[in-house]
Amino acid sequence: MQRPVVSIEDVVVTYRSKRRRTALTSVQGMSLEVGAGEFVGLVGESGSGKSTLANAVLRLLTGGGEVDRGRVSFNGEDLLMLSEESLRTVRWRDIAVVLQSSMNALNPVATIRTQFRDVIRAHRRSSWSEQQVDADVSRLLSLVKIDPKYASAYPHELSGGMKQRVAIALALVLGPRLVIMDEPTTGLDVIIEHEILSDLRDLQRERGFAVLLISHDLGTVLEVADRVVVAYAGRIVEDRPAKALLNNPLHPYTRALLDCYADPGADQVRITYIPGQPPNMAALPPGCPFWPRCAEAEEKCQQGPVPPLTRLDGGGLVACHHAGAGTREGADPNLGRSGAVYVKSRANASASHHPVITVTGVYKTYRRNRLPLVALNDVSLTLPRGTVTALVGGSGSGKSTLARLITGMERPDRGTIRFDGRDIPRLGRRGLHAYRQHVQMVFQDPFAALNPMNTVGYTLLRPFVNYGRLSSTEAFKRVRQLLEQVGLTPADAFVGKRTSELSGGQAQRVVVAKALAVNPDVLVADEPISMLDVSIRAGILRLLDDLRAQRGFTLLYITHDLLSARLLADQVIVLHRGEIVEQGLAADVIQSPQHEYTRLLLRSIPNPRRRTLAAESKVSP
Amino acid sequence: MKTVIDSVLSPIGLLWSNWRARLGMVIVGGFILIAILAPWIAPYSPTSQAFGRMLPPSSAHLLGTTQLGQDVLSQLIWGSRTSLLVGAAAGGLVTFIAIVIGLLSGFLQGWIDDALMLLTNVALVIPGFPLMIVLSAYIPVHGVGVIIVVLSVTGWAWGARVLRSQMISLRSRDYVASAEFSGESVLRIVFREILPNMTSLIAASFMGAAMGAILGEAGLEFLGFGNPQVVSWGTMLYWAENSSALISGQWAWIFAPGLALALLGVGIAFINFGVDIISNPKLEA
Repeated sequence: MQRPVVSIEDVVVTYRSKRRRTALTSVQGMSLEVGAGEFVGLVGESGSGKSTLANAVLRLLTGGGEVDRGRVSFNGEDLLMLSEESLRTVRWRDIAVVLQSSMNALNPVATIRTQFRDVIRAHRRSSWSEQQVDADVSRLLSLVKIDPKYASAYPHELSGGMKQRVAIALALVLGPRLVIMDEPTTGLDVIIEHEILSDLRDLQRERGFAVLLISHDLGTVLEVADRVVVAYAGRIVEDRPAKALLNNPLHPYTRALLDCYADPGADQVRITYIPGQPPNMAALPPGCPFWPRCAEAEEKCQQGPVPPLTRLDGGGLVACHHAGAGTREGADPNLGRSGAVYVKSRANASASHHPVITVTGVYKTYRRNRLPLVALNDVSLTLPRGTVTALVGGSGSGKSTLARLITGMERPDRGTIRFDGRDIPRLGRRGLHAYRQHVQMVFQDPFAALNPMNTVGYTLLRPFVNYGRLSSTEAFKRVRQLLEQVGLTPADAFVGKRTSELSGGQAQRVVVAKALAVNPDVLVADEPISMLDVSIRAGILRLLDDLRAQRGFTLLYITHDLLSARLLADQVIVLHRGEIVEQGLAADVIQSPQHEYTRLLLRSIPNPRRRTLAAESKVSP
Repeated sequence: MKTVIDSVLSPIGLLWSNWRARLGMVIVGGFILIAILAPWIAPYSPTSQAFGRMLPPSSAHLLGTTQLGQDVLSQLIWGSRTSLLVGAAAGGLVTFIAIVIGLLSGFLQGWIDDALMLLTNVALVIPGFPLMIVLSAYIPVHGVGVIIVVLSVTGWAWGARVLRSQMISLRSRDYVASAEFSGESVLRIVFREILPNMTSLIAASFMGAAMGAILGEAGLEFLGFGNPQVVSWGTMLYWAENSSALISGQWAWIFAPGLALALLGVGIAFINFGVDIISNPKLEA
């Protein structure tokens, strides 16, 4: 590795709350170097401490976080010791930051040009003339592939993806040596995300700055980074060149994460998921923090000291007792962990053709700031009874709008939606109340969909009380059964919990359970896994699939992700700008997409295996 | 049961851990104690006219006596009962009206919202204190009950508006839609699902309303719109003013009720600071 730009040495960060008298050490000694011009990816799920570490580097910690120990060497100085004033000059000029929320940090009442000018004048060339500034702004905007004419635009006139590109250009305005990016594309449309990251990679190669890209998504990171650092429970567990890590992951966690990805176009799609929950930093087990979820754990892992991050002969670092020895003999990760693997073959789709819901000629237009926004334009579809239909599209495709219309949360401008002889848009309050006994919804963000003031038991009891007319003992019995069905066992441990005390995966299971309480005919799931950690996504998919097999409901699965659509769905409908562009059997659509937009979506799925393809095709003549 | 106790005790514990709120709770708690213990700690009966008139402060009468020969300290102690009663009752009533109108208006939208907001806006633009004076002048009976009603009728509009806008922001949350999918009724969604998420805002608006009511009551009585026979800080000020207490050097008589009012107001305001910090942890510093 070249001489490091920044070298993080054994940093420990603790969040202390005076009010709650708690102290949570969320970074437990992380060391990490970023070489000059190197593109490093830092990957971890919630609780890994990855964002905390990034914020600690520039002393931007909030919420009571303090660095207890460690050094951040930059230019021969320790950034953690620098005076606030010297640090101010380092920030942005030498080390710039792009956050997920950066696009919302643009000043809404200043033009893009003004925001660049202010930074240029404040940090670098206070003497620059307007022409020089303009030339610089145009150059930077073209770098991030934005037409320089947008320099005179206000942030609200740009789309989310464009704003994030502007934020990246703003980070580059002073020619920093390192750009720290914390989930810079999370929340953007998959296609836009893919474009921005590949443009960023080109830009970084061209201009030679170093990047520390922080992400929850190993697939995305492997596609762009030179070196990948994997964090778990506040520690680094593997730190190796991207290609080596991809071809021969050494830490069981890395290996398990890689198994969460697959090529959706294969004849047999196989993914595995990691059992258990992302680490709870307030209650870490003794020994290696990953052992409760590890297929290879043995006694040494459960008791002894935390395995140290050790340098390997072949280069790279790993923190595991088994590393270097390869997979431990006889440790098939599937043994003794039933349900950990999710395989989907090219099976025949269920043959039902009896439609349970029929949507005909639906139009919906929203008016925002008096500008009409066409969400759905003449959409017709049927959901065959007992099957799974995946409704696939990017942001703005109208897929969530369609879900809201089908569930009766909103009414279309025109068109009919029929269920069992009823026209849903015409239902009044009472009609909708009855309709919801048949059609239920799983929301995208489980924490938003659960009232933080209520307990799990209360949340699940209500549908039974309102629709089942059961005695309270009977209803409680059903709540317990339901909890066990969605894998929250023992049920008694969850009944009394506040929903705000659950982890993301547990909360989404409660949301699923609540939707199934009335035993609906149709379940509409709007991106049910996109807010969850990668390692537990397949578990929720599997749950939906199993429950559907048991109960036989019809599932409308809404997603931007064709891999999960392939795993779950019989039928795929691709929606683009409010119109259906392609539909058919899932395997057909995904293996031989006809429409250009479907192909684009497929190309944009993070797929670590593709990296090798891309890298090799560049090398070969 | 444990969770019920927790849900009551933990906010109080949180309040207690903030020094401003603690100070406020000590002050308000002190006044409540004085009001409860009035019969035992007041040296004399507040209405007894057995003493010399217009006496200056002395060891027998720490704050002097009135123009009718009543003990000012005893009146001050007994008068805290009226102020606290009016504060709690009118504050509670104001908050109740604000909750019902604000929440329903915010949740229902459409013509009900329009009608309720018209009412609220009218109530907002009419100046409160003059309206109180007019109302209490037209009501033939004078007394604490009337003042509570007058304060409640004039005081709810601002709270209703604040709660309505909070409601509009909360009603678009997924958990509200999710409750509709559970088959909940409108009233249950509004009062069981959404209301608990506004506790701190409601607590703050109760404190504000109680403070306004206490000052409003004192103001009305000072101007003579109360029942002058009742012992309260407002009537004390009224009689002190009418008997030219300041000119005759009876400074304790006129300042004591004013200071008591100010101190109670400060106490409530400090509790309110604490409520703010509970509802917005970013203010914790």
